[in-house]
Amino acid sequence: MRRIAGVDIGNSTTEVCIGEVGNDGSLRFLSGASRLTTGTKGTLANVYGIKSALETAVAVYGGRIEDLDVIRLNEAAPVIGDTAMETITETIITESSMIGHNPSTPAGAGQAAGTLLAFDHLESAQAGIPYIVFVPSQYVYEHVAEEINRYAGKLTIAGLILQADEAVLVENRLQHPLPIIDEVRRIDKLPEGKLAAIEVALPGQTVHMLSNPYGIATLLKLNAEETRLATPIAKSLVGKRSAVVIRTPGGNVRENVIPAGSIRIEGDRDREVSIDEGADKIMAALHEAGDIHDISGQPDTNVGHMLSRIKSGMGEVSGESDEHIRITDILAVDTLAPVSIAGALAGETCMEKAVGIAAMVKTQQLPMQQIADRLQQELHVRVIVAGVEAVMASIGAMTTPGTALPLAILDMGGGSTDAAVVDEAGRVTLTHRAGAGELVSMLIQTELGLGARTTAEQIKKYPLAKVESLFHLRLENGEMQFFENSIDPRLFGHVVLITPEGFVRIDEDIPMERIVQVRREAKRKVFVTNALRALTHVAPGHDLRRVPHVVLVGGSAEDFEIPGMLTEEFANYRIVCGRGNIRSTEGPRNAVATGLVLSSLGDKSL
Amino acid sequence: MIVNKPTVLLYTIAANPRRLRDVCAGIEEEGVLYEVKEQESGDLETLAYLAANNSMLGSGIGIVGDAMALQIKGMPMGSDVFVLRHPTAEQCRHLGANSARAIKKMPFKEDA
Repeated sequence: MRRIAGVDIGNSTTEVCIGEVGNDGSLRFLSGASRLTTGTKGTLANVYGIKSALETAVAVYGGRIEDLDVIRLNEAAPVIGDTAMETITETIITESSMIGHNPSTPAGAGQAAGTLLAFDHLESAQAGIPYIVFVPSQYVYEHVAEEINRYAGKLTIAGLILQADEAVLVENRLQHPLPIIDEVRRIDKLPEGKLAAIEVALPGQTVHMLSNPYGIATLLKLNAEETRLATPIAKSLVGKRSAVVIRTPGGNVRENVIPAGSIRIEGDRDREVSIDEGADKIMAALHEAGDIHDISGQPDTNVGHMLSRIKSGMGEVSGESDEHIRITDILAVDTLAPVSIAGALAGETCMEKAVGIAAMVKTQQLPMQQIADRLQQELHVRVIVAGVEAVMASIGAMTTPGTALPLAILDMGGGSTDAAVVDEAGRVTLTHRAGAGELVSMLIQTELGLGARTTAEQIKKYPLAKVESLFHLRLENGEMQFFENSIDPRLFGHVVLITPEGFVRIDEDIPMERIVQVRREAKRKVFVTNALRALTHVAPGHDLRRVPHVVLVGGSAEDFEIPGMLTEEFANYRIVCGRGNIRSTEGPRNAVATGLVLSSLGDKSL
Repeated sequence: MIVNKPTVLLYTIAANPRRLRDVCAGIEEEGVLYEVKEQESGDLETLAYLAANNSMLGSGIGIVGDAMALQIKGMPMGSDVFVLRHPTAEQCRHLGANSARAIKKMPFKEDA
């Protein structure tokens, strides 16, 4: 009787499986365990995570690590992935010409145009000229209203811009209603004496004059050329509840198109494709190129910087010099990113076109043997490096009930999507494709304009809910959930993530429906595209229909909606596709570790 | 027929007038009506609890001197949503705004 441990070091977790081989050659699984990978996959730092996972696994059946006969490590796939995002358009407003935002409580309604006048210069103003008065926050609302009322007979005051959140308070005390915009943080940047137009939308509506180039032209008396220049302003004010546009002669607004550059693909057939043409064209060019030798970007362009940044980052991880790093696959995805407008006064952003790219680099073999040697030294158990990761995953996946050969596995991790097909004769064909969970996180982060990547990662993993009262929340599928004890008031009115550790608040003010939409779209763009791409590559004769079974393994297979998306997609090809259930108990995890234990049966060297 | 106005109720005992004014401004800025009623007796928690339960909108504030508490109908006595012992002017504004936001189902403003 011998005890065998399989150890799979993944990018995020280290998985262990322990099995017992009887004298008659029968195999019995004893336990499994999962721990976070310590350090970068394939480095000596992994040893701590492996030891911890082994300790957990042996504790399940009350054994000791020293009693193991052999530990089998996976031969990690020699690929690492990275992601980058670059916007290809940009709006720059010079000499600060606009404010467009959604203060929670603006006051009054309508639009007005006039010359900008500081509140403390009211007495030096002239009669007969329409003014827009701006008020810094040191003035109290009562005083502001009193002064405006006092001057209302002498001067033509058309509208107010406040720094403090007091629009309603001022309006309630005015004798004549005015459109009032508040919460303008950078009020000190307003150029006094310049012509400005302000607009406050009616309740439930959005601004319609200032989000229309001709509306701006009407209020600020612009000619045709100036109106053309004001178009980016109108574009970025669409959907706002209040807005200010200031005419600053000499200052102008440009929509810059940054030279995005082109991608050069060296392969069986060389191809060059411009980033501007969008993700579909890039992926088509990639397909045409056949087997890829290397991919590079045009120097001194955005994509050039992007790809060279990926290469140097990979160089650091793998310890190889940059010129030896070759990108062998990319996944390009079109997206929109909110970019703050240079020259705006209240932190406004504009949705700019962007492209997200995941790249994959083939490196030399990771130093698994070093890890094996160190582990053997520390544990006094024989450690061997056995088996290619994808092959082991396939063997492990076959322990899922209801599967049969030929069988394909789809291992969707953080950095890359790996696929392998095992035919009836046991031959394995495999491929690695760029783009997986990390690209999804990046797309979610940029499209929603989130400050932290960790928030995007959590959005990817957990369903959403809105806290509608201190005693109930509405889940993203419309269901209500009620609570006996009150929910933390800090969560009230916010969108939260339902995690196993409790609710996590999303600080950004984004409607729940929008987050759901962006999340699903990001997953679809990356995982569905890549699953089709990878499986077509490994399928016999590149014909998807010749793969009857697809088993999903790896971290992303545990996602709450990705397996469903793929099951739906593959049903169109009459393929049985679903989340693996390794050893009928482990779910999609532990496939490689289980495969390592199983494969020991055929290993005569033991 | 007696009709109650839809208001946030403020039950006060010797409230600091400047602080009270700031709380009211916070409610007004959010566009919600309020009523201030001076009480004879009661501690902070009781005032807030009664104010919330008597308010047609289910949101009430108790103020005793400088101290103030925000309470919402349905919460048990003593577990106030927010309690401020020595608030700044800005905190008072926020407390008032939050009493209104509880009704409008908007996220609370957090104290600076």
